[in-house]
Amino acid sequence: MALLDVQNLTKRFGGLIAVNDASFSVESGQIFSLIGPNGAGKTTLFNTLTGMYRPDGGRVLYRDRRLSGLSPERIARRGVARTFQNIRLFGAMTVFENILVGQHPHIRYNYFDAIFQTPRLKHAEKRAEARAHELLEYMGLSDRAFDLARNLPYGAQRRLEIARALALRPKLLLLDEPAAGMNPQETDELKQVIRRLRDDRSITVLLIEHHMSVVMEISDRVVVLDYGKKIAEGTPAEVRNIPAVIEAYLGKGALEKPQ
Amino acid sequence: MKPRLSIIALTIAALAAGAALLAWPRSTWPLLAVLGVLFGCLTLNHHKPLRFAIALALLLFFIPAAGTHNTFLFELVTTMGIFAAMSLGLNIVVGMAGLLDLGYAAFFAIGAYTWAIFGSGQASEFMSGSFPLPGWPFFYTFAALAVITGALTGTLIGLPALRLRGDYLAVVTLGLGEVVRVLANNLDHPINFTNGPQGITPIERPPIHWMLKPLEALGLKATPALAYSIFFYLLVLAVIGIVVLVNVRLDRSRFGRAWVAIREDEIAARSMGISLTHTKLQAFATGAAFSGVMGAIFAAKQLFVSPETFTLLQSITILAMVILGGMGSIRGALVGAMAVTLLNIEVLKSFSDFLIHLRQTGFVLNLGIASYNFANLSDQIEPAKYERMIFGLILVLMMIFRPSGLIPERRHRLELGEPKKGACQDTNGGACGPA
Ligand SMILES: Nc1ncnc2c1ncn2[C@@H]1O[C@H](COP(=O)(O)OP(=O)(O)OP(=O)(O)O)[C@@H](O)[C@H]1O
Ligand SMILES: [Mg+2]
Repeated sequence: MALLDVQNLTKRFGGLIAVNDASFSVESGQIFSLIGPNGAGKTTLFNTLTGMYRPDGGRVLYRDRRLSGLSPERIARRGVARTFQNIRLFGAMTVFENILVGQHPHIRYNYFDAIFQTPRLKHAEKRAEARAHELLEYMGLSDRAFDLARNLPYGAQRRLEIARALALRPKLLLLDEPAAGMNPQETDELKQVIRRLRDDRSITVLLIEHHMSVVMEISDRVVVLDYGKKIAEGTPAEVRNIPAVIEAYLGKGALEKPQ
Repeated sequence: MKPRLSIIALTIAALAAGAALLAWPRSTWPLLAVLGVLFGCLTLNHHKPLRFAIALALLLFFIPAAGTHNTFLFELVTTMGIFAAMSLGLNIVVGMAGLLDLGYAAFFAIGAYTWAIFGSGQASEFMSGSFPLPGWPFFYTFAALAVITGALTGTLIGLPALRLRGDYLAVVTLGLGEVVRVLANNLDHPINFTNGPQGITPIERPPIHWMLKPLEALGLKATPALAYSIFFYLLVLAVIGIVVLVNVRLDRSRFGRAWVAIREDEIAARSMGISLTHTKLQAFATGAAFSGVMGAIFAAKQLFVSPETFTLLQSITILAMVILGGMGSIRGALVGAMAVTLLNIEVLKSFSDFLIHLRQTGFVLNLGIASYNFANLSDQIEPAKYERMIFGLILVLMMIFRPSGLIPERRHRLELGEPKKGACQDTNGGACGPA
């Protein structure tokens, strides 16, 4: 049974069809990559999956239940976490607080617990803090815990986005170009991290990435989008050799020209 | 300055200012010095227990002791306290959750009318029963009720916030705030709920005969008026204490974090599972509740409420307090309320008096090249009349030179590097997790 089943998903912006009848399914435990040239509709697909946009056609099943039509917060609570291509951290909060916000749905106490500082609150907060420290350690951010998120260097901000998404304890993690702006060493570390997410925490990863090295090395399966349409799907090795993919990336006629 | 040095300086300043206030309870300078020390207590970052002790000494000993010779001190600090509760409430909505609310005075009005109607003969206009309800125990019951009516109206006025943001929200809250004032103004017919523009008076106060004995033991034979001044002063201090405590606790809980998160980035917050509806309505309800309870206290203290107290200017004044103090900062909201109230009812007035004095005595300012005879000063120039202009000026200057306020939000200050590197910033007295 597929963890995520995207069926004939379509999203239009006026006359522009950003996602056009796209179908694929992600199995539990896969690292599944979504690639395609700029403007292919990858981010739009993420936004539609996570409830930010309403699809104009098709549907999305997650663990055999409909996701399409739910609000982003409901989808997050179902265990689908994401990061953003154009980093969206809570800039004026500390790194540590960003992680605590990520745990929001799991921190269970009510308003009056907060006002009267009941044992329930203390217990919940203590656990959340312990988890936050653990996640920061995991993503190598421990020594920046009390810096403001907006003061982190770029690569660290990307890692914090992942840490914050992990705080939600997702089953499915959507990463939108996590390696963008990272140096080669950080990119290498990122590959390790993504692999470990799958291996140690059994998180399924849906990845958008332009760095071909990342995609080719760690993905189990790749879908290629072009102008919103799925033009290819397969293992990294299969996809790499499909003429339509090379054409989409390098432009028409690229294959004929001697390199 | 070194932390140790600054706390010693603050202690000495507190004693000196306190003593000066006792010696000259009627002059402005010792008062400003005392408020300056209170400001210092809020601004410094170290020696929390000692700062707290200094503030308590000033608030519970020096100011009341001087206040028995000059009840204006009680009036001033009580007013500051009432506004502080409101700026703390508005700070949650505007500062933390980032929802621009220009109708905030409405909740104050709701709280005030909650007690005014039932604590006076007004209620017998539209229902049977014997009114006014006696101050004991009903004043306290209705003050608690005002928390609830405030929170409910807060939720109602918060509803548009679910669909609107920024300027649009500001306009709608402004309108709804005015609706409350206009209702208060016009609900005197067909059924007389609010007594319209005449307002409601007199309003019952809670009995305080229990206070006279202890006051006498302290060597004070208080007139009823003085005793009530002291009573409301202490009551407002106690309520402010509770409001600050609740604020701090919420700020450090998942609720406070959710408020700041939606201010910082709604989309990211939603994808962390934060419900915008709940979070925004909670912010509005909480903020309004503080205002509501102070409204009830205000009604009893003034003995009189009328729609004219709850104007747009009032809402804007409270907003100015929040902005001046520092959006999202609890200590900032307190300082902002102190500063603006002081400016409003003491500094501008004193400055006007000073100018009038110069004019009447025909003081000549001689600067060598030019001289100016104050007798020629137009009597149009009276700073107290320029309250709004001076506010505007202060806000513009703040936006230019210190946009994050006098005491920027706590999270901002971490930027200056307080707890660093593995430091476990523990908010609840619990242990830190494995680092
Ligand atoms: N909110 C929007 N309104 C209108 N058009 C949009 C919107 N979001 C995206 N588009 C358009 O939809 C198309 C797909 O954009 P999208 O951001 O999904 O591409 P992408 O594959 O993520 O590209 P990139 O690799 O550059 O991130 C683009 O032509 C873009 O201009
Ligand atoms: Mg994109």
